[in-house]
Amino acid sequence: MLLPAGALAFDLSGYGEAKGFAFAKRESGEDPMFQGWATLLVKGEEKFGPLYATASVRAEKISSEEGETGFDIDDRGLRRANFSLREFWARVPLGDSFDFQAGRFELGWGKTDGYSPADAFLPRDLTDPFADEKIPLWGARLTGQTGDLRTELVACPVTTPWRLPEMGRRYAPLDFDPEKIIEEEETPPKTGFGALRLLLTSGDWDLGAWGRFGVRPAPLLNFSLVPSADPFDPNLLVTRRWAREEAGGVEISRVAGAWVLRAESAYLRSDDPGLGHALIYTLGVEKGFGDSTFVATLADNLKDTPVDAPLLYDRALLPALITALNRTEEWGSWKIAWTAGLAHGDGLLKAEIGYDLTDSLKITTGGELPYGSSEGPMGALSSARRVRLGLRYSF
Amino acid sequence: MVKINFFKMLAPALLLTLLLPAFSIAGEEEARKLLIESEGRHRSATLEYGGELTVYTKEGKTRAKGWKSFREGYAGDAKVLVRFTSPPEVKGVSFLSLSRVGKNADQWLYLPSMKRERRIASQDRDASFVGTDFSYEDMEEFDHRRYEVDLRGETVHDGVPCYLIEAIPAGKDQKSVYARRMLYLRKDILYLARVDLYKEGDKEPSKLFLISDIAEVGPHYMGKKLEMSDLKKGSRTIVILKDIVFDKPQPEDRFTLKNLNREGGD
Repeated sequence: MLLPAGALAFDLSGYGEAKGFAFAKRESGEDPMFQGWATLLVKGEEKFGPLYATASVRAEKISSEEGETGFDIDDRGLRRANFSLREFWARVPLGDSFDFQAGRFELGWGKTDGYSPADAFLPRDLTDPFADEKIPLWGARLTGQTGDLRTELVACPVTTPWRLPEMGRRYAPLDFDPEKIIEEEETPPKTGFGALRLLLTSGDWDLGAWGRFGVRPAPLLNFSLVPSADPFDPNLLVTRRWAREEAGGVEISRVAGAWVLRAESAYLRSDDPGLGHALIYTLGVEKGFGDSTFVATLADNLKDTPVDAPLLYDRALLPALITALNRTEEWGSWKIAWTAGLAHGDGLLKAEIGYDLTDSLKITTGGELPYGSSEGPMGALSSARRVRLGLRYSF
Repeated sequence: MVKINFFKMLAPALLLTLLLPAFSIAGEEEARKLLIESEGRHRSATLEYGGELTVYTKEGKTRAKGWKSFREGYAGDAKVLVRFTSPPEVKGVSFLSLSRVGKNADQWLYLPSMKRERRIASQDRDASFVGTDFSYEDMEEFDHRRYEVDLRGETVHDGVPCYLIEAIPAGKDQKSVYARRMLYLRKDILYLARVDLYKEGDKEPSKLFLISDIAEVGPHYMGKKLEMSDLKKGSRTIVILKDIVFDKPQPEDRFTLKNLNREGGD
């Protein structure tokens, strides 16, 4: 036997969550006034001596949503699957300084809260754009530390595409009859991206630099009119394409008394005329007030990048100011967040209160209020205003 | 007519004024000597333990958490890594504190939900440590070198005679959540048994830290029960230490940011 039984330490955890949404109005007849969402996530962890492995699977049902049935192992479908593999990776140490990780895992590179150009290559699931969930990647990762210098090398051989909301519905409104919109399911490109990141900590300072190349996972949308049974009432065909993009960035943060200051800057270039080049910077601050934390981030693109709100979800928001206040209470926690789009005067107000019924059972309520000019990406979501109530059991 | 001899009246006061610094210097020297002796006796190369932590709110609710703690060095040169193991909502949350000579410790918190670490501002150490009555500063080891100390007398705590030592952050560079600490150092074994923590302007302590179930674990003494009470909020957090292991060599990369970010690691 290669592995002694005594070294095994299997651990099972996860959560079940049920939540309901009530909306202020419909964008179209297909949008319900109420929506239910049920999720079960189970995660297993195992240590085999120095090797650590983990896997998690998610079962989910969204009412009134065209969820894909079955099991989507690579998460490259147009819609969210009812069963999906979230994590499936193993890590093994290579000597004292390096770890090798391979499989399906999540990454988080951004230093600034709310918006980070370093995370632009990372796929997001915008099925619920207000939840803004990350999609895990298939890939390999080498992490190491020598003295105060940290190194991270990531290779994702296959593109994991962003998942966009259904076109013409409340989360992606288009000035077109939703029943006449045809979203074509294409196969995203096989090639993914590679990236290298270096981080250095020196006293109160944290410095970083990174470079990436490959396929950008946020798709660009092509719209075209195609004939229907009624020649005077054509359908709208929506297809996707993926552009290649190279990017390099720097990040810096430091502790200054009671504040943590963060800044990032990245130059992103692409030959695709629909994407173009961008020079994005973010400035962020964080401060604690007892059990409360305040964060604010200013983000902007200094280049005249072609931006069309439904085409470039991540850049359409810029310039923006993102602020949030979190507080932990003895009974639970609450949070208020405000994203202000500075170009169109639109924005999003979010609030959430969580009450801990027990260590394992938590009830949450909150709401999202997009507002302002419909020219801006947030103001365009006015029919997505909603309140929600959720119950989560963790085990 | 009564003659007032100002010299006779002033003399005792002048004498007292001249003698006070001498007593104070003696008290400071004695306190420092005791703390150095205490540190020398109880210093261990490393420490590992599993913590069972329970928060008791004012309303009588309880919240339980489990953690594993690793320490290398002691007091002013301590490196500490804490990983929460339960409940599921905080499982994987990890904390790294690296002491710096003469300065506040560097501290980071790893949040699995964000997949990255966050730096804790050195003056933001009053925040609750993962919903407990411990603040980030409370997670640091006490280093007497960063305090002006004074022996304020002797007292009895929990039936055991103790030295009572006042510790005040020394100079402007030594930022602390607390303006003053009163340390109860057991006379018999010179082990810290209680700390009264005063914030700026407090006449009564804001928080009370009790260390009990002090017993020999191998070659060292160890308090197996730690209790932090927030006297203003009316809540308290009790940590029961289990599986205590001293002087076990720690992996070279245990107290690094790379390891802090290593999910599922120790």
